[in-house]
Amino acid sequence: MDLMSKLTISASMLLTGFVIVFSVLVFLIFVIWLLGKTITGAQNAATNRKKFKVQQSVTTPQETTEPVKTEEKVEKPVASSDTSEEIIAVISAAVYTMYGSKEKVRIKSIKKSSSRSAWANAGVLRNTRPF
Amino acid sequence: MEIIQNFLNAIQGILQDSGLMSLGWQNYVMIGIACVLFYLAIKKEFEPLLLLPIAFGMLLVNLYPAITAPDSTTLMNAADCIKAKGTTEGYATTVINGVQYYNVPHYGGLFYYLYKGVKLGIYPPLIFLGVGAMTDFGPLIANPKSFILGAAAQIGIFITFIGAIFLGFTDAQAGAIGIIGGADGPTAIYVTTKLAPELLGSIAIAAYSYMALVPIIQPPIMRLLTTKKERAVVMEQLRPVSKVEKIIFPIVIVVVISILLPDAAPLVGMLMFGNLLKESGVCDRLSKTAQNELMNIITIFLGTTVGATATGANFLSLSTLKIIALGLIAFMMGSACGVLFGKLMYKLTGGKVNPLIGSAGVSAVPMAARVSQRVGQEENPGNFLLMHAMGPNVAGVIGSAVAAGVLLNVLR
Repeated sequence: MDLMSKLTISASMLLTGFVIVFSVLVFLIFVIWLLGKTITGAQNAATNRKKFKVQQSVTTPQETTEPVKTEEKVEKPVASSDTSEEIIAVISAAVYTMYGSKEKVRIKSIKKSSSRSAWANAGVLRNTRPF
Repeated sequence: MEIIQNFLNAIQGILQDSGLMSLGWQNYVMIGIACVLFYLAIKKEFEPLLLLPIAFGMLLVNLYPAITAPDSTTLMNAADCIKAKGTTEGYATTVINGVQYYNVPHYGGLFYYLYKGVKLGIYPPLIFLGVGAMTDFGPLIANPKSFILGAAAQIGIFITFIGAIFLGFTDAQAGAIGIIGGADGPTAIYVTTKLAPELLGSIAIAAYSYMALVPIIQPPIMRLLTTKKERAVVMEQLRPVSKVEKIIFPIVIVVVISILLPDAAPLVGMLMFGNLLKESGVCDRLSKTAQNELMNIITIFLGTTVGATATGANFLSLSTLKIIALGLIAFMMGSACGVLFGKLMYKLTGGKVNPLIGSAGVSAVPMAARVSQRVGQEENPGNFLLMHAMGPNVAGVIGSAVAAGVLLNVLR
């Protein structure tokens, strides 16, 4: 193989490999992104529909018996829409357990913590410690 | 007197058949190399699951070369056949110049048959089946941009291809050497058996050795190409990935890649099939078999037979030294390109991506991701990059399979 042939085959392989590998993987990025959006959207819609149905089934009988009280409940949302009632119940129970039955505890808001606790750090460290 | 003569004849026969008379100096050198690999595998725990079978295959073939001998047929006339086998029945016949000969088969050595799985490209995809069943693609699905880093780390393959061409290898051999940069053992073996089977021993040993040396090779490159500030970047937590996404992912990947690059279909197909077995949640037994028993059996067959290709005559040559040097370059280039693309993503995202995760784009799962984690923690002990690095890491597996498809398509 002479120098010119070596240069030609080297340049063409580099170009072909670079372009095809990147094109295929960039295309996969788009496909996976689209897939994620579609599925997340569909799941959110399904969750919202479920919540709406639950709300309807709860509010309808109350409206017939005590319409005024129901209005008060609607005006005072106890949690943001992305926190489920089960999570609130678990957190409330944990807080209540920590403070004991003598303290009056009321959960006003629940926010995601940006930094990990010492316990969480220790757990993550244990699971991810390399070598 | 006759008894003593018979005894001496027997001893002479045994000595003539023994390794003392039949083995050359190259075989003894290879036995020494096998012992070094034993040390690295057992004492240093460098990829022991593969290095140990490879070293044992290497040891065995250099002690008893006939273990890889192919099967053959001897033509015997009726008298010889009866003398040797006691009968002529059951043997196919061939007539030459009016004389009838019987085709008496001689069976090949154990590794000759086991090696068929390598030669026919059966073992590497089966290893990928197990790898798929053990891999969680969640980090990649949560952050598909990781594919870019998985692609960037494959550039080393094509740069090494150029180096191999200029060192006098043929284009097919250069492609097989370049794939070492993909840092993926089964892919390297698969491509080499198709493009340059004569280099299989050297390439497989170079590939697995460098994969084992990832924690030593990568950190200096990562530190050299990044600033302290970049290494200390704490990345945002990845979004949770739903079960449905994890189930659809392998199906989508196999459809896309098989349509675009059919040559990569056996590797990617089995990888994704293994992953689907795991994620579907309905094939628990199959998933466990793929991850454990099947994977272990194939690993033993693959390791020993690949090791058995490293005979003294094959391995001890200048081309092996060139392959080892080029493999190191491929590995370093792949890691460097991954980090450089990580830096690019760092700039484009306004400092949200830690460039250290780029080096995990060379496959070597999960070692390369662990190295990213470790180097990141040196700057900031509270920084946990492992899951972020797993995205490019598993993208690298897909990326190297795609690169293998390109090489096979162009060079075969």
